[in-house]
Amino acid sequence: MIYQLNTFKKTLSAVLGFAALTLSVSCEEAFEFDLPETGSIEDKSLPTANFSYIPDAENFKILNFTNLSTESTMYEWDFGGGNTSTDKDPSFNFVDGYDKASYDVTLKSMDANGAEAISTISVLLEDKFVPLPVTILNGDFNGGSADWKFAEFTGGNVNPFNSSSDGSFTNYDGTDNGAKTKGAKWTKSTSAGVYLSSNTRYAYQPIVVSESNPDRIVKYILEYEYAIKTPAEAAGVAAGGNRIISNILDGHFTDGADAVASEYLSTFVADEVKGKTTHTTVKQEFTTNSTGLVSIMFSAVTDVDVYVDNVKVYAAE
Amino acid sequence: MNYIKYLTLVVAGALFVSCDSEEFLNPLPDSAIVVDNFFKSDEDVSSGIVGVYDAIQGVNENTESSSARFNRGIQLEYLLTEHRSDNTRSKTLEGTRADFHRYRVDPDNLQSEDYYQSMYEIIFRANSILNNVSVADSENIAKYTAEAKFLRAYAYFNLVRLYGEVPLVTKVVVPDEKDLLFTRVAVADIYVQIEEDLLEGVENLDNTHKSRASKAAAKALLAKAYLTQPTPNYVGAKELCESISGFALEADFRDVFYNELNDEIIFAVQYIAGNPDESQGFSAEFTSYSRQGRQDGLNIVNPNLAEDFIAAGGNRTAASYAAFGDDAALPVPEDAEVIKFLPEGSDISDSNLPTYGGGPANAGNDWVILRYSDVLLMHAEAILAGGENTNDPSAIDSYMKVRERAGFDAVADRPTVLSKDALLLERRVELAFENHRFFDLLRFGVADAVLGAHASAKGYTSYNARRLLLPIPAREINLSDGVLTQNPQ
Repeated sequence: MIYQLNTFKKTLSAVLGFAALTLSVSCEEAFEFDLPETGSIEDKSLPTANFSYIPDAENFKILNFTNLSTESTMYEWDFGGGNTSTDKDPSFNFVDGYDKASYDVTLKSMDANGAEAISTISVLLEDKFVPLPVTILNGDFNGGSADWKFAEFTGGNVNPFNSSSDGSFTNYDGTDNGAKTKGAKWTKSTSAGVYLSSNTRYAYQPIVVSESNPDRIVKYILEYEYAIKTPAEAAGVAAGGNRIISNILDGHFTDGADAVASEYLSTFVADEVKGKTTHTTVKQEFTTNSTGLVSIMFSAVTDVDVYVDNVKVYAAE
Repeated sequence: MNYIKYLTLVVAGALFVSCDSEEFLNPLPDSAIVVDNFFKSDEDVSSGIVGVYDAIQGVNENTESSSARFNRGIQLEYLLTEHRSDNTRSKTLEGTRADFHRYRVDPDNLQSEDYYQSMYEIIFRANSILNNVSVADSENIAKYTAEAKFLRAYAYFNLVRLYGEVPLVTKVVVPDEKDLLFTRVAVADIYVQIEEDLLEGVENLDNTHKSRASKAAAKALLAKAYLTQPTPNYVGAKELCESISGFALEADFRDVFYNELNDEIIFAVQYIAGNPDESQGFSAEFTSYSRQGRQDGLNIVNPNLAEDFIAAGGNRTAASYAAFGDDAALPVPEDAEVIKFLPEGSDISDSNLPTYGGGPANAGNDWVILRYSDVLLMHAEAILAGGENTNDPSAIDSYMKVRERAGFDAVADRPTVLSKDALLLERRVELAFENHRFFDLLRFGVADAVLGAHASAKGYTSYNARRLLLPIPAREINLSDGVLTQNPQ
């Protein structure tokens, strides 16, 4: 009886299994004699073409494109002037032969069925350049002569000036202090020019600015206040007049002797005589060099005490 | 043995047979699931509204562990948001959950598909309420309507920020209305609907609940929508933020998360510990050193976020993340874990032997959707109005309230000018792991710059600006007969 039942079970299972097999095959074989294209459906998901772009952080003439096309796998970009690309997300430098502020860029997006979409967008080449900000160390001279010294000075003196309590009434942030602030002072014995000696003082500070290049001229302003004692306060006029000389140097220097002998980017002679603590503001504009490494250097040629305060450097408008 | 073979054949056969069955070829799209109309009374409408919150709450993965989409609600939201920001990542690189932080989510990604479906589940249920609200008691109709519209707006706000243009379905539809179900609608038009829906909440809701829609929640959500929409409405956002009253910052930052529905909470989704139907699974997934979750550590804190915390977090740092084992000795932890949502009974005081209570996989920690410090920072953002800086004292006041709670000094640490960068940083550390960062980066207009730099520093080579939108789930596109289009890939 048990044996019989087992046989029955096996038979039943075999029948069921066979039936299932037949069904499964019939589903697959239903389309056996159809031609390949039968039942293929039209592609309704057609390409669209679109893109955005961001200027390169370093160079506004290089645009980085982001492809926003859909349902497409192949791309043809046309940047004008015969320049093209088949990259998905190309970058293009609008440099040779491109001198306008706007160009039409065309993107053709295609899928493998030959469907295509075209989009043309006028891209703008805008110089959104922001010059590097410059922080002058100890620009108010409250820290004495710190940050204003050459590292060495062949045949000279690394002391930059005499610290003075006869600086400007104006604080570094432009507010009125109500009293004198600290400043820097030059005297006859620390003068350059006709009084040049091993005791001549030069104030020096290296700074980093945005460099100029053939595409872009970058200008900065060196601003400072100065005062020169009147003949009533102290007698004596150096040959050529009592004066402060501010220079912008082409590079950074270790030895003061090299700096003094170098060719300057800019020189200004400050010679308004108004008296001690009556300050005049100088705004000396200069064009940066190709490296962005420049230095400030102050010296004086004077018989009487002269003063400098609140030294700042910022980009010209 | 033979029996098993035959049985296999039977099963295989059955599968093939079903290939032409109605359900297999015509599955229901997510944006239109049709149920029999059970709305007969006020009580039905009321319980139907509770059912919408159920869709937000989602099903714990430890209760229903099927990896197929299962309406996880917001329980997987951190993958689509925090993981796609610079805040956190998955520890393992296996599985589709590990695709989000590397910006390589595919159209068939299960978690993205589940989230998309969950949001449309909310929308569908809300539309059902709106379709049947007339059977409710007349004095309740305006309130019920406003609540359903609030929930619909909440879902659309999430969808439009994550997927861009999406189908806008505002009524009950049947599956063959394909044009309505699958035609993508311009982002600006979706915001028009969000605004319209939320204005009804501002008008007709009260502040009875924190775990349900309220007037304050509608105001806060609308303020955020105003700040986010393509043409921001800064004036409207500022007024809304200023009109939200009756809330206060918790004195202790930790209490925001462990003292449920406290004074700071405006809208939170509630969970109940130990209850498989009402608990959440994400608290356990956020563990790694002593793993409690199904994956080897999700929402692991990126070192660059830890650096921001160390610089600007104040007392929030110790309440936001923790490092374990050797990682705890590093100045900046590499693999710190989120501790804002530790399961009940957790003790992490020993960094070599953290414990997580009796049932971390069925955690009860609420999910906070809106809280008052977010509103304060939105207030400052609205005044900043897209600019780089503001010296408006009321903007700086709002910003400082949040910082003072974090332990900063009201006088010494008060800036004279509040910059956009400072505000973004403050939002990052205040609201870390609460799924804000990705949306903040988008709203502040710096998502591509910040995430592009983050991706290249981390070597996530799949990143490009297209990745800021998730792909539309392939399942929906397949069901749409070519009506639904894909985002640029």
